[in-house]
Amino acid sequence: MPSPVPLNALIDQLRQASSSEALVLATRALASSGDPGAAPVLVEVLGYNNPGAAVAAVDGLVALGAEAVDPLLRLDPDNYGARAWAVRALAGIGDVRGLELLIDALGSDVAASVRRAAAKGLGNLRLDPLEPPIRLAVQQRCLNALLAAGSDGEWVVRYAVAVALESLARQLEPASVAWQRLEECLVALCEAADDNPPVVQLRARVALDRLDAQ
Amino acid sequence: MTARPTAAPADHRAGEPINESEAIARLRQNADPSQQYYAAWWLGRMRSQHPEAVPLLRDALRQRRGRDPGAGIEENAVARNAARALGKLAPAATDAIPDLLAVLGDPDDGLREAAARALGDLRAESALKPICQLLASGPNQAGASRPDSPRMMEPCEALLEALGDIGIADPAVLAVVEPFIDHARPLIRSAAARALLQLTGEPRWGDLLVSLLNHHQLQVRRAALMDLGAAGWRPALESIRRTPAENSLKLIALRGLVEQGCGAPAEDALLACMDELL
Repeated sequence: MPSPVPLNALIDQLRQASSSEALVLATRALASSGDPGAAPVLVEVLGYNNPGAAVAAVDGLVALGAEAVDPLLRLDPDNYGARAWAVRALAGIGDVRGLELLIDALGSDVAASVRRAAAKGLGNLRLDPLEPPIRLAVQQRCLNALLAAGSDGEWVVRYAVAVALESLARQLEPASVAWQRLEECLVALCEAADDNPPVVQLRARVALDRLDAQ
Repeated sequence: MTARPTAAPADHRAGEPINESEAIARLRQNADPSQQYYAAWWLGRMRSQHPEAVPLLRDALRQRRGRDPGAGIEENAVARNAARALGKLAPAATDAIPDLLAVLGDPDDGLREAAARALGDLRAESALKPICQLLASGPNQAGASRPDSPRMMEPCEALLEALGDIGIADPAVLAVVEPFIDHARPLIRSAAARALLQLTGEPRWGDLLVSLLNHHQLQVRRAALMDLGAAGWRPALESIRRTPAENSLKLIALRGLVEQGCGAPAEDALLACMDELL
């Protein structure tokens, strides 16, 4: 096994990258260090307008998990490009501190790719460590945001909503009002309509079948 | 297939949100072509079912002809947007097929391109012969680059895709499409393979598209993704998952595999891959 390169050297390499390719390679190297000290620099890369590097940075941030959340939340909200990547990272991490950003992105981001990532993230938040009353409140907020996005104009966002509702349902009491509202939304997504393509109907049907079999 | 440009409104007034009756009124007047241009786009984008939408779009397509070719770009642009909108209104726009066939002979290759795509969207069998005639001279003539622009003599990509969309696997059609498999431009090879895959279902055309997912240019990988999706070629699943390109495009391609394809891999594997890419 090669001896690990010190974090400072990896960061220097990234800052001195003189081409787009070099930046991608340096970001990958830093991302795979697994060092929490890399998080703020990986977050910085999200704003460089280099999609290859941003993908590598998101992978690294997701791998760091909870350690990456604070730097992600400190991101300048006016830097749209960076924020879109941060939503993807937070969706992958599943830390409840990302809740507000994910709800906001799902409800108001202009890009369908960001809304779909936010939807998936809201179905993937890890709520087990929370006290029961807080957990219920968070689930309720996730559910409300997802139900509203069930009528998003883009099929891919509705597809993501079906996926997220399936995961969220696994955490809810089957006989609860919340579970019933969730099921109603999936039933609506199963319906054939001019602007609801078969793939969305199929995914919602699969979700309902799996929940029934549970 | 390359991403089709969405024609954006031409001026600031045109960018304001309008409703259907306003769009119909703007298309009906003919004093201001930029208003017609936006209205035509709007009716297609919103999949308007207004009874006057198709007749007015047909007028917009026709009104261009006979006009002074020096009158400026707007008349061409209105006609192109009208053609695109008629394609989006398929199948309700079947009455417009003769008008679209007429503009397949127009000197404006952008209009020929828009008309070909619309005829493909309308599955217009009557377009097979005229489209094959435009392509018949093959990759070295119809597919030759123009001396003065990056465009080809004929809008080959749109013409090939239309033949695949119309979906009649006539030997004469296949004979016209096959030579384009060796075209110098990878995007044309992709369009030809897509059409042949849709028409014949033969694995060799699917394999050719899959090999384009390894092309060094992102633009070519994107086109191959869209073409695999349009043809619903399910054996491409793993290659689609791995190719370096945006997840948004992979998701569109996989939707095509689910909706247009059949056989293995089965739907649960396709959906699992889509879930991962969200």
